[in-house]
Amino acid sequence: MSSTDAPFLLETRGLRRTYPSVVALDDVDIALPRGTCIGLVGKNGAGKSTLIKVLAGAVSPDAGQIVVDGAPADISSPRAAQELGLTFVHQHMVGVPDLSVAENIEMGQGFPRRGGTFVNWRGLRERALEALARLNSEIDPRAQLSSLSVADQRMVMIAHALAKDARLLVLDEPTASLTESEIAVLHGVVRNLVAAGVTVLYVSHRLEEIFSICQSVVVMRDGRVVGGAKTAELDREGLVSLITGPLPDDPDADRPIRTGHPAAGEELLRVEGLAGDAVAGASLTLRRGEVLGLAGLVGAGRTELCRLIFGADKARAGTIAVHGEQRQIRSPRQAIAAGIVLMPEERHTQGVVGGFSVRENITLPSLSRFRRNRAVGVSSRRRERDAARRHIDALAIKTPSAETTTTNLSGGNQQKVVLAKWLERDADVFILDEPTHGIDVQGKAEIYTLIEGLVARGCGVILVSSEFSEIVRLCDRALVMSEGRLVGELAGDELTEHHIVDACFAARERQVA
Amino acid sequence: MAQVAVPPVADPVGDASPIPPSPRSRLALPAAFSQWALLGALLVTIAIFGALRPDSFLTLENLKSTLNTAAPLLVVALGLTVVLVMQDFDLSVAGMMGLGGAVAVVLMGQHGVPWQLAIVLALCVGVLGGLLNAFLIAYLGGSAFIITLAMSTVFVGLEFAVTGQKTIFDGIPDGFANFAQSRWVLDLPAQVFIAAGLAVVVWALLSQTEIGRYMHAIGSGPEAARLSGVRTREIRALGFVIAAVLAVAAGVLIDSSAAASSPQIGTPYLLPAFAAVFLGSAAFKVGQFNAPGTVVGVLFLGVIQNGLTMLSLSTAVINIVQGVILATAILVSRIGVRA
Repeated sequence: MSSTDAPFLLETRGLRRTYPSVVALDDVDIALPRGTCIGLVGKNGAGKSTLIKVLAGAVSPDAGQIVVDGAPADISSPRAAQELGLTFVHQHMVGVPDLSVAENIEMGQGFPRRGGTFVNWRGLRERALEALARLNSEIDPRAQLSSLSVADQRMVMIAHALAKDARLLVLDEPTASLTESEIAVLHGVVRNLVAAGVTVLYVSHRLEEIFSICQSVVVMRDGRVVGGAKTAELDREGLVSLITGPLPDDPDADRPIRTGHPAAGEELLRVEGLAGDAVAGASLTLRRGEVLGLAGLVGAGRTELCRLIFGADKARAGTIAVHGEQRQIRSPRQAIAAGIVLMPEERHTQGVVGGFSVRENITLPSLSRFRRNRAVGVSSRRRERDAARRHIDALAIKTPSAETTTTNLSGGNQQKVVLAKWLERDADVFILDEPTHGIDVQGKAEIYTLIEGLVARGCGVILVSSEFSEIVRLCDRALVMSEGRLVGELAGDELTEHHIVDACFAARERQVA
Repeated sequence: MAQVAVPPVADPVGDASPIPPSPRSRLALPAAFSQWALLGALLVTIAIFGALRPDSFLTLENLKSTLNTAAPLLVVALGLTVVLVMQDFDLSVAGMMGLGGAVAVVLMGQHGVPWQLAIVLALCVGVLGGLLNAFLIAYLGGSAFIITLAMSTVFVGLEFAVTGQKTIFDGIPDGFANFAQSRWVLDLPAQVFIAAGLAVVVWALLSQTEIGRYMHAIGSGPEAARLSGVRTREIRALGFVIAAVLAVAAGVLIDSSAAASSPQIGTPYLLPAFAAVFLGSAAFKVGQFNAPGTVVGVLFLGVIQNGLTMLSLSTAVINIVQGVILATAILVSRIGVRA
């Protein structure tokens, strides 16, 4: 059968997949027209990931059918998916960091050989160059993958996916933690691929990009497809209400939450000349009731600065004063004792202990306060559970119980668990590193509310975000970081996305010049 | 992995049960099954040997002898359990068993140190050895696998330096020679009670104390634990010290039972100890190293060894059957774990 007979490249009919206690896919019908970009949106836990895994042959459906080119297809293994031309760039796909770009791109293709045995390295490089050229990318195929920026690594993974004669390319959150300019490059690549006849299924939490590059969008909620439309016939509000469902909880996205007034509270934190591996002499202050933004391009050193303040990495120079008092902070333990806490960017490995229950994570930093008897290090489960339940209620953490394993919660709820553990510990300075990374619209709104709550209690917040609109909405004041240095400060009317982007690039150009 | 959507709960506060309501699904049965499968496999194995050799296997005397043989293995395996909970590794326990036993015997036999004090001093050697491991691994960042492999030869060398590579049986006080095998109650040797007592202590440490919670945090998310303020280095160090001290204790029990110190007594215990701990990770808390699991693992190994010997099979057959039984047990108990 010729591949142009059927109007759709791929259709699903009545796909169903259940897990213990949850229906991940419920009667899912989608149809992907050839040579278009289709957005796939929905909250965390809506079923997008399961759908993708079914298409990739990693998970088998309990019922339903997948139709490719109008004929039923049996995708029972990742290999079967690949042979049908279905390729995937998963959200956390990282390749092999120690191998070269060329090796990563051609991985699984069978390297070109010389004399049947030895790898033909030059041929391999040329094939990789070809693949990269199709993406208009100038990445050096000899470079080690781990030496590249996140954006370039993702480009390599896309080249890797396309190396397999891709007819369908599934991109799962491809722009997470990329900067605006890097996103623009990636969008250009997607448009070119679509123009060349590739079908792209594009999963994203950023609705702007759905509107800018997708011709149509499929909305999932609670395992069901709840809407499908041409993006031209839909506006942002309509899409948001489809995603969130009947709850009228639109977090009216463009209204600044903070009014931008400088906080009047006392000084909580003063950092002077802090220097480490990727940070050169950073100085900043934070006041009670203030949200201080830390903006910059990926690789600017924001995460590194946060980790230095928290004592997670070794500082080479600099001082930290809390409440006007000089504190020695050489470990997270000392930072916590001084009232400084960190919500790390990598919540799966650094924010929560994966195998621990919600209760165990919440009480981990303050476990000794739950002792039955002050002298003996045995805690009272009952009191731990009471505390955990208090936080579950106060922060509206969605979990079946306090004993549920934390990895079974959605991303937004895991972030709330991290916040809860620090609230239980009493802290003044909250450093939040990309707290909304990979979290759905509703989860983001909830985290914004929680940040407001911290400020209302008189805490100070340092907020790192790659979404500059978030910095503008939430912060009283923002510092811009570039190449390990703080290069600008914005407050009041000056604090706009435009000025932030301007400051980022102005600094970088100065350094290049 | 899979994004598991969590259904909202009507009344989270009113839920008095500490265990989440078990989901009624096709995976619920295997999960409960695998929790108890290893214990079941142990009972089935006992039943089979009992049916094949009812006169010799199912006797009180044989039970006592199996427990007695298992005691030193259990002691060293408990130490490994603590280290493995933190995803660390300790190959030096075998060397430490020999060194610890040798130090105690040489002190009491050749230097006239009271045997009780000699045991205490040997345990101190264990503390030092554990601290040395910990320093090289937790503080200097060496790989636990390589460092403890290297330290194990160091410990064997120290043992040879102390004993001159000879078996020592002269000058051993009767008190020590009678210690491990003395009958306290139920006509069971003292070392069975010591091993059982240590099992309770390690269970309590791992599952009931703050330190145990920190140990599990380090094993399950080392960076998350450190960023939560857990003293990860100190607690890992404690793990290596516990492993080394329990290794010395096992060595002392073996030497006391033999009333002698033979060269490298620990070597034959190393692999069975690891096998027992890994077997145990398939029981009770599936996928997690845990003290009750280790007890079952050790008993399982003991019963297989004992039963196969009673069937008077050739050593070749015993080895093969033992391996097959182990592999089967672990695979059967893993059914349903991969979800």
